[in-house]
Amino acid sequence: MHKTRMMVLGLLLVAGLVLAACAAPAAAPAAPAEEAAAEATEAPAEEAAPAEEAAAEATEAPAEEAAPAEEAAASGEVVKATPGQSVEMVLMPKFLGILVFDQANQGAQEAHAELGNPAGLQFLGPTPENSVAGQIEIATNAATQGVQAIMISNNSGDQIAPAAQAARDAGMTVVTWDSPIPSGEGEQLFVAQVDFAETGKVMADMAMSILGEEGGKFAILSASPDAANQNAWIASMQETLKDPAYANLELLDIVYGNDQSEDSYNQSLALIDKYPEMELIMAPTSVGIVAAAKAMQDEGLCDTVKVSGLGLPAEMLDYTLNGCAPEFALWSFVDLGYTTYYASYLLATGALQGAEGETFEAGRMGSYTIEKDPTRENGLRIVMGPFTVYNAENVEAAAK
Amino acid sequence: MTWLRRRFQPEQIRELVLLALILGILLFFGTQIENYFSPRTFTRISTSVAVVAIVAVGQTLVILTRNIDLSVGSIVGFTAYVVGTLLTLQNDLPPALAVLLAVGLGAALGAFNGLLVAYGKIPAIIVTLGTLAIYRTLLVEISGARSVVTNELPRWLVNLPPVNAFSVGEFDIRLLFLIALLVVVLFQLVVSYLGWGRRLYAIGSNPDAARIAGFPAQRIVLTAFVLSGALAGLAGFVFLARFGNITVVAGLGIELESVAAAVVGGVNINGGLGSPLGAFLGAVLIDIIDNSLIRWLAISEFWRNALLGLLILLAVATDTIVMQRLRSLWARQELRLAARRLTEEKGESNRAA
Repeated sequence: MHKTRMMVLGLLLVAGLVLAACAAPAAAPAAPAEEAAAEATEAPAEEAAPAEEAAAEATEAPAEEAAPAEEAAASGEVVKATPGQSVEMVLMPKFLGILVFDQANQGAQEAHAELGNPAGLQFLGPTPENSVAGQIEIATNAATQGVQAIMISNNSGDQIAPAAQAARDAGMTVVTWDSPIPSGEGEQLFVAQVDFAETGKVMADMAMSILGEEGGKFAILSASPDAANQNAWIASMQETLKDPAYANLELLDIVYGNDQSEDSYNQSLALIDKYPEMELIMAPTSVGIVAAAKAMQDEGLCDTVKVSGLGLPAEMLDYTLNGCAPEFALWSFVDLGYTTYYASYLLATGALQGAEGETFEAGRMGSYTIEKDPTRENGLRIVMGPFTVYNAENVEAAAK
Repeated sequence: MTWLRRRFQPEQIRELVLLALILGILLFFGTQIENYFSPRTFTRISTSVAVVAIVAVGQTLVILTRNIDLSVGSIVGFTAYVVGTLLTLQNDLPPALAVLLAVGLGAALGAFNGLLVAYGKIPAIIVTLGTLAIYRTLLVEISGARSVVTNELPRWLVNLPPVNAFSVGEFDIRLLFLIALLVVVLFQLVVSYLGWGRRLYAIGSNPDAARIAGFPAQRIVLTAFVLSGALAGLAGFVFLARFGNITVVAGLGIELESVAAAVVGGVNINGGLGSPLGAFLGAVLIDIIDNSLIRWLAISEFWRNALLGLLILLAVATDTIVMQRLRSLWARQELRLAARRLTEEKGESNRAA
């Protein structure tokens, strides 16, 4: 009897070990983030002096100039960049190895050369398996390495906010592009690729154009349920659908592929199983749209279920030409990097204060006015735009 | 009963318990999802499990030796990308050579892990956590931010996923799933009947004893890592065929999925217990739950992951409890048998006296 009890205890221990072993990997990634956060709070101490000055400037300036700035905007006064000023800058993508982010870097380098900034512009990003903690680390280190402006495409929620705030406290300019910090904390300005409200309309228009006047039923395949930009686009599309012009479009479901090929592919198949009457999958994510198109092609369903959304011409070429995804849209990431560079340069050199209503000129892209970001509670933005809609006629040229 | 008990040890009926669990889950979802018991559901799940199943078999070989391979996700991504790029540049590369390249490349990456673990005496979790990052970084470096895109790949590869190997009644066995099945069967035989396979268990159960007994433990551990890498490479090829479009995020997270499949499938994380077949059933179980939940209208996206985790925990717990009962039953009977033998012996010796 005693022996049996010992054995049962032993087995329980093993079970415990197994469960603990399962739980451990999930807990592990939290540690680096905490470390990074700890570093983030320590780092600014070294540079406390300039930080206070800068912070003081930053808080005073908008207060004094808030009113004039608005007037200036009204009278159309446009802030222009003075070339040749020295600003050490970092452009940080969500992670390295993705084409669109390299295109953004290309645009930023173009602006860098154009403005003759004698300091450096570094393209620094984490690797994909370490993207959240890696971004925090880079933002934290930048402050201690004499970087004066950092441009972030945020790959998480508010996790990066403390590091961004620490960078601000250290006197750095922090601008987000592509994907903002949801709370707006630690960020001076968000360079939005397109008007998020317009995204919904563009998607609804593509749906109408693919399905024809009689419309039809469709589903949305998004990235992750907490992606701020995705959710804003989906919300704007739902808003657009209330317009009687789109009354024939019926949204069946919203599913999430977590920007992974595997998940997106499986979700697309689940959609056609769940909704045999569905005629279109709308995927506002470049990973989701190719996975959905591949799934429809493998199933031989390209004639009955179309795919559309936001995608890259090079990746979509096959599917657009064979009719699986007759239309999709995107903006220029080269222009996005270029515009972001201009805005950051102007903020870092003090030409812009980062207040609502200020207008500035971003080289070849023309002028932009800083406004409140309607998709977030706090935070300022400029909207770049426009969308390019790709179809069988123009996709080949764009894919090159 | 005695015969049954003699014939099967508790560990050997673990696979049966898993099968029963899978059946139970299928029955449940059958009542919930319309048209669930159809050849289509079978195709969906069999094709979706292929990649993880192959990796999980390799993972099992490593875990059996009381090690772990966390770099497999990066190896899958790396080989998928490199082989995809080669096929893009050289469209007429023979398919067999492409598969061989993928397996060879994976084996080389696995050998690096194995050398460090077996001969460098560094804990496997440290080594493979390091190479998880290193292989992924290497991929980012060589990719130069370019993706492998379907329109540049040879047609035979892009059209591979829907290809049927053969059909059993209305059920189609897709070629990619057949590859996974063959891998499982092959390695189940290897660990059951080959000396090398049996030694994996010996090393995992008691490394010191295995060493004292004169097993070439280092070489065996190295081989386990090479095979884990090679299988991850093969999975990389399947991944490439399935998705066509490969970026640097390909295969992210597969290391944890493969460990989960192995553990759910009854492979003891401390080595020495479990089988490739169990790991395969574990992968199937997780995939069934995952693929059924996304088709179950009653559940929202936000609860899906939590429920998936809960069901996996429940499956493991049920499995553990059932196994526990069986093992103590088995132990008690064994004790009783020994006691009876002892009294019989005593009786005989008394009679002799």
